[in-house]
Amino acid sequence: MKKYVLFFLVIGTYTCNVFGQKDSLATLLKEVIVVADKSFKKNSKSSKVVALKDSVLFKNTESFASLLRFNAPIYIREFGAGGTSSASFRGTSSSNTAVIWNGININSINNGQTGFNSLTVSLFDDINIRSGGGSLEYGSGAIGGTVHLNDTFVFKDAETIENQFIVSAGSYNTSNNLYKFKYFSNNLAVKFGVSYNASDNDYPLLGTNLNNENGAYKNVSFNGGFSHKITKCSELNLYSTTYLGERLFSGELPNPLVANDKYKDFNHRNLITYSIAKNNYTNQVNIAYLTEEYRFFDDKNSENFNFGSSERYLVSNRFGYDFKNINATISSFTEYESIFGKTDQISEKNRRQFSQSILFNQHINNLFFYDVKIRKDFNSDYKVPFTYAVGTKLKAFKHLSFRANASKNFRAPTYNDLFWPGQGNLSLKPETALQGEFGIVYANKNFKIDVAGFYISAKDKIVWSPNGDPQRAGIWTPINLSDSKNKGVEALLEYATNIGAHTLQINANYSYTHAKNTETDTFLIFVPKHLFNGSVGYQYKKISAFYQQLYTGATFTTESNSPDFVIPSFFVGNVGVDYLFLKTAQTKLSLGVKINNVLNQLYFTQPRRPLPNRNFNLNINYKF
Amino acid sequence: MKKLPITLALAVLFLTSCKNSEEDILPKGDFENGILISGEGSGAGTGSISYVSNDFTITDNLIFKDVNNLELGTFLQSVAFDSENAFIVVDNQNTITVADRFTFEKRGEITTDLSTPRFMAIAGNKGYVTNWGSTASATDDFIAVVDLLTLTVESTIPVGNGPERIIERDNKLYVSHKGAFTTNNIISVIDITSKEVKEVTVKDNPDEMYFNSAGQLIALSSGRTIFDADFNVIGNTLGSIATIDTTSLSITNELVFELGEHPSLMVLENNTLYYNLGSKIYAIPADATSLATSEIITAEGFLYGFEVEGDNLFTLNANFSDVSDLNVYSIATKLKTQTKEVALGASKIYFN
Repeated sequence: MKKYVLFFLVIGTYTCNVFGQKDSLATLLKEVIVVADKSFKKNSKSSKVVALKDSVLFKNTESFASLLRFNAPIYIREFGAGGTSSASFRGTSSSNTAVIWNGININSINNGQTGFNSLTVSLFDDINIRSGGGSLEYGSGAIGGTVHLNDTFVFKDAETIENQFIVSAGSYNTSNNLYKFKYFSNNLAVKFGVSYNASDNDYPLLGTNLNNENGAYKNVSFNGGFSHKITKCSELNLYSTTYLGERLFSGELPNPLVANDKYKDFNHRNLITYSIAKNNYTNQVNIAYLTEEYRFFDDKNSENFNFGSSERYLVSNRFGYDFKNINATISSFTEYESIFGKTDQISEKNRRQFSQSILFNQHINNLFFYDVKIRKDFNSDYKVPFTYAVGTKLKAFKHLSFRANASKNFRAPTYNDLFWPGQGNLSLKPETALQGEFGIVYANKNFKIDVAGFYISAKDKIVWSPNGDPQRAGIWTPINLSDSKNKGVEALLEYATNIGAHTLQINANYSYTHAKNTETDTFLIFVPKHLFNGSVGYQYKKISAFYQQLYTGATFTTESNSPDFVIPSFFVGNVGVDYLFLKTAQTKLSLGVKINNVLNQLYFTQPRRPLPNRNFNLNINYKF
Repeated sequence: MKKLPITLALAVLFLTSCKNSEEDILPKGDFENGILISGEGSGAGTGSISYVSNDFTITDNLIFKDVNNLELGTFLQSVAFDSENAFIVVDNQNTITVADRFTFEKRGEITTDLSTPRFMAIAGNKGYVTNWGSTASATDDFIAVVDLLTLTVESTIPVGNGPERIIERDNKLYVSHKGAFTTNNIISVIDITSKEVKEVTVKDNPDEMYFNSAGQLIALSSGRTIFDADFNVIGNTLGSIATIDTTSLSITNELVFELGEHPSLMVLENNTLYYNLGSKIYAIPADATSLATSEIITAEGFLYGFEVEGDNLFTLNANFSDVSDLNVYSIATKLKTQTKEVALGASKIYFN
């Protein structure tokens, strides 16, 4: 595992001059890892972050939904495996989960969410999952938590070229294929990746003699970019990714044979960043251009489709100034965005958005950290409230620390909410949520435990209701309907140890969520009270094995919590074995076998849509 | 009786005579002597059927699921009955599930050769099912002829766009073309033997149909709201209640609503026509020459279905994200006498 040092630490703690000097510190930093979102780590000191690295990503390459389901404190709803899926944290809704690509919020302008099965797991270098509000840094939708997809570049003193092939084949004619190329030197890093995934996905529906009809999918993605250290103090980065996907939407019981929907989506994201770090200050300019488009075919054999598309232009600047004598940093983040969005039902609308944030943080004697952040947004469509966040972390003892944060966050109405013809509601306000959390962290060499209590008070939640407009009963319209209070506990446990040639690794997430609508005093729908996932990994010389377990509690699907409409709880486990055939300094070849849903459990997150039964996967991972 | 075509009414009579021939009247099942409410279902829960006993002491939701441990799916459009069975039509599933009408034990299903099925009429051993066909096409709509003994579609009769309600009388099928996702303004009259299709033009979006005591067809047309490309309302077409002579197929009486008024529900009971505008329910004699000037009752909530039996006016306050309410009013006192929680997306009421 590489020594993980974020570039911002280098520029934040040591001046550019130090960086250039051949003193002992600089030579220690043989590798400098560069990320676009340099402030993420600094801004997350008082929050809980689950970092998913290569080793985890390659265990759940089959879909992003299953990656999160087995490794993060997130509840995933999926309309059949590989189908539309959404994620929620801490009992909030799926539009309260923001997905951040290299520092940019990529939730859809049309529906405010990101479809998790339109993301390719293995192309990203690392994925961070942060629980808690993040509107201050990431804008709309960052209420329950944020999922960060990062590309990283590495500057190495020794010029390096790395190639990696991963080929896997599994049940239902599933194949996941990946090629990654990386070039590193001391001032230039280049990477390129391509992945192709396809599956018939026609798994048998347990308890019936039917199959998951019309579930096939295929997608191809490209990912590339470079980082160039222009001078000792400045660097230029380019990130680009393209995704082309085609999925059929599977049918539901009792007659899945009916299904004949098709969905295509195309995403294209580009980002250029230019940063300088000199003496006491840092500055980074970001320019981004993102497009997305979906096409929905009600009949896959027909040429007719519904579509939605958007184009986003984004410019932002981050300026930071260090007060070295007091170990503090003040930064300013300014962002301007112009979005053009349309659907077959909504003529093109342009939303313009400007935000200004000021962030201040200070370390005191390496024991105490705090930050204060404020943000004001101006939006052409609606009024966005002033948002703020405070966080603190106290290292009480050698291994024990306390962390706490509080913030105000928002979720903006989407284009669909505002403009859907005959149904959109132009007088919607953004949802707002106040949240707070207090956590205790114990960490030593082998062991980390993070237990936090959280509280979220959400106001003006946007809900589509057939009675939304009293003048037009029966017409579904969105309104700022309900308030809710979510409280609970989120716990994380990580343990790793070596005993001779044996390595043991344990990870677990547990969350307890008590989320209620404050007016009706009923539990929120699609919120499991208990959510647990954990994995145990074991390695001995060339053999490694792992087991993943998931427990998801029962969820109500109606607001009145009718016991007639409940999705039952489920336990699902996966098991895998890898054998390392070849390992030299440059080359690594391993072969792995994985059994998903090893106990062949019937489970579902959406009524009448069972998820896959026991299935197998064989993979080869070759790195040279 | 709105949802039971005349054949079904005959079937009920037949049933009654069966009963009389037996010495002991054994209950035919838990769900006899009561009201069945079908709910369309939605993303929040399955389409389902609720049972409310005639004396309102028993309410049982999801009776099909409770008996069979199976969900019917979405969207449960309608139920047709013969003397023994209920034929549950679920449009998005292209499925008709057959269950014993008194025990709700599943007897079989039809899952092929249907395409967005809506309503079914039964005559003899045959069922006639309106189908919208592919949503992408306005020219593939048809009536599926179902052999009720084998539960297979034995033939189809092509008809105009968006066939909705279907009722049978004297070997003829009467089909109102509400227009599926677009609009239409015809009633098809189909000779069952020759399969010849004739059409009667009425006001836009015809829906509910009954036969009056003189054997004439009474059809409710909702009229249509016209939108521009941005879905702003730019106009309306007229709604009406038309009385049609079944021999000459000419309109003998037509009560036309004010422009912009769009009735959606109608019931014929005891020679009285009940219809709605929004949540207001009106009543006129079946042979009235003008529409009512004031409502008899304003139903609570979102009126999505109603039915009349004696003095009881049964109304459904439909909720698509939760359980719905059945509210019962006394027509005489106009007071609400009962409220029961029933199926999610409740839309139709049947007397069992």
